[in-house]
Amino acid sequence: MATDVERKTDIGPPHYEQFLHPVMKANYGKWLYHDSIAPGVLSHTGPEGTIYTVRAASPRLASTNFIRNMTKIATDFCDGYLRFTSRNNVEFLTDKEENVDKIKAALAELKIPVGGTNNAISNVVHTQGWVHCHSAATDASGLVKVVMDELADYFTSENLPAKTRLAVACCLNMCGAVHASDIAILGVHRTPPVIDHSTLPNLCEIPTTVASCPNNAIKPTSIEGKTTVKVDEDKCMYCGNCFTVCPSMPLSDPLNDGVSIWVGGKISNARTEPMFTKLAVPYLPNNPPRWPEVTDAVKKIVDVYAANARPFERLGEWIDRISWARFFELTGFEFTKYHLDDFRWAGTTYKRSLQNRY
Amino acid sequence: MADDLKIPLLEELEKGPWPSFVTDIKSVAGKSEMAADLLRQLEKSYEDKRGYWKHGGLVGVRGYGGGVIGRYSALPEEFPGVSHFHTVRVNQPSGWVYTADALNGIMDIWDEHGSGLTNMHGSTGDMVLLGTRTEELEPTFLALTQKGWDLGGSGSDMRTPSCCIGPARCEYACFDTLALTYNLTQEYQDELHRPMFNYKFKIKVSGCPNDCTAAIARSDMAIIGIWKDDIKVNQEEFAKYVDSGMDVQGIVVDMCPTSCISVDGKTIDIDDSNCVKCMHCINKMPKALAVGDEKGAAIALGAKAPIVDGALFGSIMVPFIELEEPYEELHDLIERIWEFWDEHGKARERIGEFIERVTLARFCEEVGLDPIPQMVTHPRENPYIFYEEYFAEEGEGSEE
Amino acid sequence: MAVSVEQLADEMFAIVEESAGKRKLKAGDLQKAMAAKHGDEVSRKDVKAGIKLLIDSGRCVYGYFGGSSIELPRTEGAANE
Repeated sequence: MATDVERKTDIGPPHYEQFLHPVMKANYGKWLYHDSIAPGVLSHTGPEGTIYTVRAASPRLASTNFIRNMTKIATDFCDGYLRFTSRNNVEFLTDKEENVDKIKAALAELKIPVGGTNNAISNVVHTQGWVHCHSAATDASGLVKVVMDELADYFTSENLPAKTRLAVACCLNMCGAVHASDIAILGVHRTPPVIDHSTLPNLCEIPTTVASCPNNAIKPTSIEGKTTVKVDEDKCMYCGNCFTVCPSMPLSDPLNDGVSIWVGGKISNARTEPMFTKLAVPYLPNNPPRWPEVTDAVKKIVDVYAANARPFERLGEWIDRISWARFFELTGFEFTKYHLDDFRWAGTTYKRSLQNRY
Repeated sequence: MADDLKIPLLEELEKGPWPSFVTDIKSVAGKSEMAADLLRQLEKSYEDKRGYWKHGGLVGVRGYGGGVIGRYSALPEEFPGVSHFHTVRVNQPSGWVYTADALNGIMDIWDEHGSGLTNMHGSTGDMVLLGTRTEELEPTFLALTQKGWDLGGSGSDMRTPSCCIGPARCEYACFDTLALTYNLTQEYQDELHRPMFNYKFKIKVSGCPNDCTAAIARSDMAIIGIWKDDIKVNQEEFAKYVDSGMDVQGIVVDMCPTSCISVDGKTIDIDDSNCVKCMHCINKMPKALAVGDEKGAAIALGAKAPIVDGALFGSIMVPFIELEEPYEELHDLIERIWEFWDEHGKARERIGEFIERVTLARFCEEVGLDPIPQMVTHPRENPYIFYEEYFAEEGEGSEE
Repeated sequence: MAVSVEQLADEMFAIVEESAGKRKLKAGDLQKAMAAKHGDEVSRKDVKAGIKLLIDSGRCVYGYFGGSSIELPRTEGAANE
């Protein structure tokens, strides 16, 4: 370790301007329009010329080798310029139209799909799962891989009614913010925390742990003279919030952990306001390595949506139009008591009109 | 090493058309025992259907309370390569733009000091360097800062702000998302690196209501571009869309949420006074329609995932603010919000939950915002009003 | 300034020491304690500078379980040493 260099702090990120392609710098704030040239290929034009973007998938969990492969393509065909999107895609930026095919060929050689634009399924926003997280109820990278293996053709084409956004989060913390995606896969625990009373008094602060529970299910108690906590298991909804503040309350349960599926969320304001996802399938088992029950359910949703929605109707907008009753009918998913909300403001989800389809 | 991994379940994930993270991790497993043991531990997770990571960690670089996530294997004897597997969050450049040289420089550092694995990028926006040992944290930090990079946030701090590509490559951008994000990140380095809040505070910046950073769902403070005046129309280009055979009536006119578009032959007319700036028509005809000239942003507060009290979208606090350097008005607002939340928020209470608890009316009063109809979908429906003005008995005068 | 940053750091260190093992203190708790003790004589900025001094000198470290706290340095409970 070099000790002769000055230790710097609080310098912040490098200024973005040094990473902008000259054509992007020249057109900065002056862009006129964009064109979709092919799935995964966009052009943006301003008074100072056109920049071509080739969008490629990435596993998000990427090695330095993967990134060096990407930077090599950028060096060879983009004067070194590349960027990443908010959905973990890699974008190659060039002002030379003839380089677009060369970039695509280089990516094809690496077996990296090009796509994710317009009415496609873009790359999946996801969390760490068993790869790196202490509270994961499932793996995220594995789920993304098997689901996108199934849906890869929707990434490389633009044939869906509208853009379709998938997300995977491996527990209710939802680091992947799945609560506003067209289709969300969410890892769930189904049993209360198992309290380790031998470590809890040393590791956890009792008031914080008690306060962490959204349902007031946690109360202080005393075991062998030491203050610890107890859980009213009837009130526990397995959210894992207590585990976040208290490591002695793990929820992991291989027999019961699994996956739930949610649909109909969106972020953009286009046409309709942003929407939360709603529950479609309350539980599917963890069945690694390829989670066939999950891929079947997701494929089902995409297929039914693709066959029935109108052009440019997002999944949630389509369901709003045809009704949830019909959604369950078309997908064949069972509607259960778990679909009835029982948390805060549950009443706002009850149907309070006669407007049903018969 | 890579040939004795014995990971048959994970190798099932090397099949299929989508890029395989297993193949990718394997590619560095020959030179990185951390990567090899990560695969071995993950294989065990796939066998046993559970994770094997311990909770928490008190590690970091000197002086910072954010930017490093401690992580230890629960099975260190079996998988010594991942006994420590800490995460380093590197503050990404605005808009996630890079040059090959800059990225390769970071990869050199990470091959030397870490597992050789990354996330491009993490949910908050940082470049995530995934997996290193405690004793490598300071050397990694030193090497990063020498090349001009710094750490992002974690814990109860201002999290690393992130933004869309904005004016660098998008005609929809209503303000300079990259410049604002850079400004906020630099202005609040202390708040980013030294956790001093009740809980996390995320800022996301999108240039238009398409909201490509999902700010409305994922950030305590969403700054989203908007314009106030009319959509700019290029009738000549509109005629070309009609000529191309595009179903303008079905795709554009009929899908307008406020029915404010009418088309007569090859001419389009928009009643902008009823336009809610949803972007649909502009998205569909980017050559013919464009965002207006009077541009700025709306600010929404309080979005979050479910923990603790349920998921929230951001609520509009400021329907329009001009955003030009040096952004004094915005800095003032942010600081007033932080001060009130600091003083009265509970531990682990996000700003969205805080506003609901103290009430929107009181929040507005304390941070100096006027109550306006744009803040709500409709006025209250219940009659339980806390009246603060009333008349006293005659003779004593009226009181406010 | 009536109260030096060094003095604030010392006073806050005493509070952290006192509550060690009992209650995890947030930066905000220390802010409030100093404001209660010194009133207008210290600003939020002074207290922040005091906390920075405590952390930079290694007398205290940041901890994290769901929320961030300021603690005495100790061997990480979860560490595999």
